[in-house]
Amino acid sequence: MTQKELIHIAENWFQNQGWKPFPFQKKTWRAFLEGKHGLLNAPTGSGKTYALWFPIVLNYIKHNPDYKTRHKKGLKAIWITPLRALSQEIKQSAERITQDLETQMTVGIRTGDTSTKERARQRKTMPDLLITTPESLHLLLSSKEYAKTFANCSAVVVDEWHELLGSKRGVQMELGISRLKTVCKNLRIWGISATIGNLEQAQQVLLGAMSPQLENSILVKANLNKKITVKSIIPKKMETFPWRGHLGLHLLDEVVPIINNSKTTLLFTNTRSQCEIWFQKILEKYPEFAGEIAMHHGSINKETRLWVEQAIRNESLKAVVCTSSLDLGVDFAPVETVIQIGGPKGVARFLQRAGRSGHRPGKESVIYFLPTHAIELIEAAAMQKAVRNSAVEDRIPYLNSFDVLIQYLTTLAVSDGFYPEEIYPEIKQTFCYQAISEEQWQWLLNFLVMGSQSLKSYDEYKKVEVEDDGKFKVNNRAVGIRHRFQIGTIVGDAHISVRYQKGGYIGSIEEYFISKLSPGDVFTFAGRNLEFIRIKGMAAHVKNSTKRTNKVPSWMGGRLSFSAKMSELLRQELYTAELPVEKQSREIKSLLPMFLKQREESIVPQPHQFLIETFKTRDGYHHIFYPFEGRAIHEGMSSLLAYRISLLAPITCSLAFNDYGFELLSDKEIDIQAILDNNLFTTDYMLSDLQKSLNSNEMARRKFRDIAVISGMVFTGYPEKGVKMKHLQSSSELLFDVFKDFEDDNLLYQQAFTETFEHQLEEGRLRLALERIAQQEIVWRKCERPTPFSFPIITDRLREKLSNEKLADRIKRMTAKLT
Amino acid sequence: MTQNIFIKNQVFQLHHLGGIFWKQKSLLLISDVHLGKVSHFRKFGAAVPRKAIHKNYVLLDKVVTDFQPFQICFLGDLFHSYLNKEWQLFENWVAKTPAEIILVSGNHDIIAPEKFEQLQVKVFSEWVLDDFLLTHHPEEREGLFTFCGHIHPAIKLQGFGRQRLKLSCFFKTKNQMILPAFGEFTGTHALQPSKEDEVYAIVEDAVVKV
Repeated sequence: MTQKELIHIAENWFQNQGWKPFPFQKKTWRAFLEGKHGLLNAPTGSGKTYALWFPIVLNYIKHNPDYKTRHKKGLKAIWITPLRALSQEIKQSAERITQDLETQMTVGIRTGDTSTKERARQRKTMPDLLITTPESLHLLLSSKEYAKTFANCSAVVVDEWHELLGSKRGVQMELGISRLKTVCKNLRIWGISATIGNLEQAQQVLLGAMSPQLENSILVKANLNKKITVKSIIPKKMETFPWRGHLGLHLLDEVVPIINNSKTTLLFTNTRSQCEIWFQKILEKYPEFAGEIAMHHGSINKETRLWVEQAIRNESLKAVVCTSSLDLGVDFAPVETVIQIGGPKGVARFLQRAGRSGHRPGKESVIYFLPTHAIELIEAAAMQKAVRNSAVEDRIPYLNSFDVLIQYLTTLAVSDGFYPEEIYPEIKQTFCYQAISEEQWQWLLNFLVMGSQSLKSYDEYKKVEVEDDGKFKVNNRAVGIRHRFQIGTIVGDAHISVRYQKGGYIGSIEEYFISKLSPGDVFTFAGRNLEFIRIKGMAAHVKNSTKRTNKVPSWMGGRLSFSAKMSELLRQELYTAELPVEKQSREIKSLLPMFLKQREESIVPQPHQFLIETFKTRDGYHHIFYPFEGRAIHEGMSSLLAYRISLLAPITCSLAFNDYGFELLSDKEIDIQAILDNNLFTTDYMLSDLQKSLNSNEMARRKFRDIAVISGMVFTGYPEKGVKMKHLQSSSELLFDVFKDFEDDNLLYQQAFTETFEHQLEEGRLRLALERIAQQEIVWRKCERPTPFSFPIITDRLREKLSNEKLADRIKRMTAKLT
Repeated sequence: MTQNIFIKNQVFQLHHLGGIFWKQKSLLLISDVHLGKVSHFRKFGAAVPRKAIHKNYVLLDKVVTDFQPFQICFLGDLFHSYLNKEWQLFENWVAKTPAEIILVSGNHDIIAPEKFEQLQVKVFSEWVLDDFLLTHHPEEREGLFTFCGHIHPAIKLQGFGRQRLKLSCFFKTKNQMILPAFGEFTGTHALQPSKEDEVYAIVEDAVVKV
C-alpha cells in the first residue's frame, strides 16, 4: 500500500467518528511512515495518542497486506508512560484503532500492577502493542533473551517526555533506548512532550546527542492556540490575611461559589496533606457537598482513584480536591474550572493544570489562583504575565549519572550478560553520557566486578563476574533477584500500607508518620478519620473513628523552585509596588496594607536596591537577604555566604530560604558591615567556595541518598512484597560518612557533589545573580521586629546548617538548653 | 581524654572511643562493635569502602593501648552476622592482644561459641561480677548495677539560633549504664533523658557530661 492509501485509512476512520484530523496529527503520521524519528509537542487531551498509535498500526498494515486474515505475532511497539495510572486510557485508544481497522493486533499493559499470571503469559507471547513504564522496560531488559523479544519492535513512543526529562527516570529512558537501537531491527523513536522552554534539547536527549537518529528526525508542534484565563482570588480583608502559611483555608468561603457555578471543578493542592485538609474542611463547613466532592492523590488506593476518575467523566462529581496526581493524561471533558491553591512553582505546570479545564477544542480554559499567604499574591500577578508570554521553564537533563549507569549495566549483566566493547559506543551516544571518559568507564567496570578499584584476597565482594570470553555476567541467582527488586530511580521513604483490621486496603503512608503514632491515636487519611490499632508485618491496622483530629500525615514532597524567567517576572511585579496605583495590577493594589507595614521598619526594594534586614527574636539573631531569585539560587547563595562569613570568624548558623530570599540564623550577631567591607558577594572563587561550603552542610549528603539506592549500595527492603532484609539495611547517612573517611575519590560519592552544583544550585544562574547584586545599592535595615517579607522565611522549619566552630565550644553553650 | 565516674565506690573511666575501663578490676568494657558488617555488605553486593574494615581494629588497638587492661569484655554484638573472612582479622587481633577476652553475647552474635572458644575467648549470656551485671540487653536487676549495650544511644542537643546536634553518648540511669556502639558504620538511636539520668556525650576526642 502506498503512503497515501495508508493515510486515507486513518482519515476515513476520523470521518466515521465525525472528527477531522489536526494538521499536527497528519504531519506526524507522514513523518513516521517515512521512517523518521521525532518529538511531538502537544498538550494533554489534544489527540496526541492518535497521532502516534495510527502510524504504528498503519506501518503494520503496510508490511502485512493480509492483516485482516492473518496475524503476525510478536512485539511491534512499546508505549512508555511515566504514570501507570494512565496506561488504561492509552490502551483503550489503541484498541479502538486496532479493532475498528479490523487488524488482529493485541494490546497489553505491563507495569508494577500487572499480575504475575499476566506477566507469565506475556513472557510466552508478547502483545503486539505494549504499554509500560521506564522501570518495567528495564525489568524486561533484565530477563533472559530479551533481544529476541524486541527484535521486530518497530517503534518506541515515550509519552509525557517532559515529565521524565529533568529526572533520573529520563536517564533510565535514554539508556533503555540506547539498547533498543541495537536490538530492534527497524526502530522509530518518538517522544511526546508538553511545552517546555528547551524543546530542541528534549529532542536531542531523547534521540541521543549526535546520533544518526537525531539527524533523521523532526519536531512537530501542535500549536493549538488555547485561550487561558487566570483569575486571582483576592481576600476581601487584607488586614487579616496571613503573612505566611500554606493551607489557604482563609479563602475557603470564596471557593464555594466557584464550585457551585461550574459543572465540575478541580482544586489542585501542592501536597497530599494539604489535599486531605482541604477536603475535610470543605465537608465540615459545607456538609451539603457530601457525596458530591471527592479526593485524589497518589497515596490513595488504586480502586478509589479509578472510581474518582470515572466519576469525573460521568459528571457525577461537583468538585475533586487533588494533587499533581491529576496533572497528567486522563481526558476529563466535563471539567469546567480549575482552582490552584498556593503557588504552583512553575509556569509549565500551571498551564498544564489550567489545560485540565475547557478540554473541548476551541473552549477557553479558566484557572483561579488562590493565594495561601499575602506575598503569594505577587506570584499570582507574575503568573498571569508568564501565561500571557508563555514564559515556560526549561527541564534540565542530567549529565553523567553514574548511579543510573551502574544500575543499567547490572541489569544487562543479570539477563544475558554484556560485552563492554559493545555497550560503550551505545552509551557514548546518549546525551547523558556523551562526555564519559575511558577512565571513568573502566572505573565503573571495576566497581561492578570488585566493588573497588583493586582486588584483595580477603574481600568477598560479589556481584558481577567476568567470564573467560570477557562477558560481564551475574551468575548468582540471589544477586539477580535482589537487583530486579531494586530497578528504578524513584527513591522515597519506606512506605507502610494502611489497612482496616478486618481487611481492606486504604492506601500507603510514609513509615516515619506511623512511627510517631501510639495505639488509639486518630489521624486523617484518604478523607477518613482512622484510629491506629497496631503495626503488623508491613501494614498499619486501623478502624474508623468518629473522633475529630488534626493529625494529618505529612509527605515530604519535593520543594520546587522558580525558574529564572519566573523569578524575573516576580521581581518586576514587586517593583510596581512603588508605581502609581493606576499602573498596578489588582493583586499589587490589594497588597497595600502589607506594603505599608513593610515600610514601617524597612523598604519595598526597587530594581537598583538589594535589601538586607536584621533583627533579634527569641529564636536568635536573624539576618535576611532578598535577592528574589528563586529557591534554588537562594539555597546556593546562602550556603556560599555563610561559608565566607565563617572564614572571617568561627560561626554556627542555620539557613532557611524560599523563592524571595534567604536567612542566616545564628546565636550570635553577624557583622553585616564586615560582609559588605569584605565584598562577600563577589563571583571570585565562587565555585571553590561553594564546593567547600557543601562539605560543611547537608546538601550533598541528601543527594547521596538517592545515588546510594539507585546504584545498589543501599537496600531498601520491599515492604509491599513483605520481604525484609534487615541485616542488609543501612542508612545512606552512615555510608556517606564512610565514603568521606575512606574513599572520597569514589565516582558515586563525587556525583553527590556535582549533582548538587549542576542540578540543585544551578551554578550558572547563581553567578548571574551575584553579578546583578554587585550592581545594586545595598540597603541594610536594622529592624525591631520581623517584617512581612521576612515572615515566611523565618518561620520555615526546614533548614540547612553550617558550622566551623569547635564542637566542644558549641556544646558548652548548648548544654543549658537540653530538651 | 577520659572522664572518671564513681559507681558503688568503684572507679570507671569513660573513653571517647566508646569503651569503659573498670579500674579496680582492670577490665575494659566495649559494646556493639559489629565486626564483619562491612564484609557482610560487600558479600551481598553493596560496595561499602573496604578500608573501613580495618578501622575497627585500629580503634580497638588504641583503646587497649590507652588502658592496658587485664581483661576485655565485649557486651554483645561483637560480630554483625555469619562467619566471613573478617574472622581471620579477628583471630589475628586476639592473638596479638595481651588480655583475656570475654564475650557476653548479643542478638547479633550468631557465630558458634566453639569458634570463639578455639581462640580462648569465653562466651557467656551474662556476667555478674561483685555488685555489677554485665549484659547485652538493658535490664535492671535488684541490688545490681548494670552495664549493657544494644541501644547505640545518642543524645539530641538544642541551642539558641535553632541549633541542633546529635551525639553518640554513654547513657546512665540510676542503676544502669548503656554504652555507645563502639563500631564504625553502626548508627545511633536518640534517647530522651529524664532528670535523674546522666548523659556523657562523645565530643570528638573528649567525653563531656551534658
